[in-house]
Amino acid sequence: MAAEAAGPHRDCAVGLFSIAPHLEEMIVIGSVNEQWERLTRTQLWRSLFRQGWPDTPRNRTLAVMGNVFLHLHPVRLPRAALRVTYTFCLGGISFLLFLSLTVTGVLLMFYYIPSVTRAYNDIRDLETVVSFGYFLRNMHRWAAHGMVITVFLHMMRVFYTGAYKPPREFNWVVGVLLLTLTFLLSFTGYLLPWDQLSFWAVTVGTNMAGYAPLIGPEIRFLLLGGFEVGQNALLRFYTLHVIGLPLLVAVFLAVHFWRVRKDGGISISGPL
Amino acid sequence: MQTQQTGITQRRPAAVVREQGATKVERQPQNTVLVWPNLLAIEFLAAALITLGLIILSWVIGAPLEEHANPDITPNPSKAPWYFLNLQELLLHMHPSLAGVIVPGVAILMLMAVPYVDHVVGDTGRWFASENGPRIAGISAVYATVWLVALIIFDEYVGTRRVLESIGIPEVIISIVVPVAVMIGLSWLLVILIRPMQPNAREILIALFTGFVAVYVVLTIIGTAFRGPGMHLFWPWAMPPRH
Repeated sequence: MAAEAAGPHRDCAVGLFSIAPHLEEMIVIGSVNEQWERLTRTQLWRSLFRQGWPDTPRNRTLAVMGNVFLHLHPVRLPRAALRVTYTFCLGGISFLLFLSLTVTGVLLMFYYIPSVTRAYNDIRDLETVVSFGYFLRNMHRWAAHGMVITVFLHMMRVFYTGAYKPPREFNWVVGVLLLTLTFLLSFTGYLLPWDQLSFWAVTVGTNMAGYAPLIGPEIRFLLLGGFEVGQNALLRFYTLHVIGLPLLVAVFLAVHFWRVRKDGGISISGPL
Repeated sequence: MQTQQTGITQRRPAAVVREQGATKVERQPQNTVLVWPNLLAIEFLAAALITLGLIILSWVIGAPLEEHANPDITPNPSKAPWYFLNLQELLLHMHPSLAGVIVPGVAILMLMAVPYVDHVVGDTGRWFASENGPRIAGISAVYATVWLVALIIFDEYVGTRRVLESIGIPEVIISIVVPVAVMIGLSWLLVILIRPMQPNAREILIALFTGFVAVYVVLTIIGTAFRGPGMHLFWPWAMPPRH
């Protein structure tokens, strides 16, 4: 039936089908359902999706198990773990902001050179010359402040619900490390616009590090690559900000997520 | 070859089996739901809302940009990023090593130690542990805020240093011993204060953690909005311009 209706189209497409025979299944005209059925049976489709549309328990299970991103999750979870007033999605939101910062950060890198003679003008250009440059910079800045806040709030949530208790002790420690790394990521990014605000904020911040007992001046020198905030400091902060610290955060995030699963999923209260 | 000659059977481990599995499951799977679509729908909605909020915020409010950095012109006041202003505020009241490194370092270590101090399972997943919990957190937040504001005002208008120097107290006591004594003493006093409620380890930690969060937040707010030229106290609406 479908093949008959598609007669004329078939003739026109014979040449193409002889080159790629499986395309025939995709182009035959029939009802929408038939089309869909045929599409999902093609080699191309089946190479992308290993299971059917996720509208049955079986396919939904396979969809989560067979996807590298979704398989961070278990296939099933306790109903109580869905309660938004328990987690407030704070860990997930922190991760979302980290991803937004990565995307906007990579785009900002196209327009920014970490040189004391160029950096400030590059930021000015973002505001006035680059299409959506101002928007991009704003988004990076507000997401960064947002991440400091949500990571801290996430820590408060975990503390006040007692979710740090065994067997999750070590994941709490990893979380505290991630909070510290978030502060450092934000701080190293703060210098990059090379304006008065950033310059003096980092001068104040690194002076504080210089007060460490015994090795303070050495730590300060190591951070700045000199005795004051200058070209070396800008390059060090930039390198730490765009690659060093993000890599470290990514490693600890992987451990953090993995341990959530290995410690029995997110904590929930008592029997349901 | 040598083994055969001496008649000793060489043994090698075939497999290592843990007494406890790497995966610790606390309860049987009961009353569970599928992640697709139940959890994924919530995550998608949360992600969409946050992304929308971020886009609107970035559309409406611009990131600050001042003049080109100039090492010769020091703005008064020069402030650290807002999340470090709590430490900069501490800097006004104690030895810089304490304020800038030791206090934050000890705070991070104490945070990491939390699950090793309170490791009793049973009340996992319950907000504020018990009926006493919210009350303890409330008392602690008020206690910490009132003491902190009082101490900051005292130091600004009377001056611990001025008072102690005038009676010949040595520097090490003024900038190290007194601040450490105040921090430990007030924490200890808080624990004494809630003792009639017969708190367990978790509830004592709730008191101390809430005190820490309150101090962190109030110091940040004071450092951000109430400190002006010379790092003196001003009302936010009467703040002199930076120069």
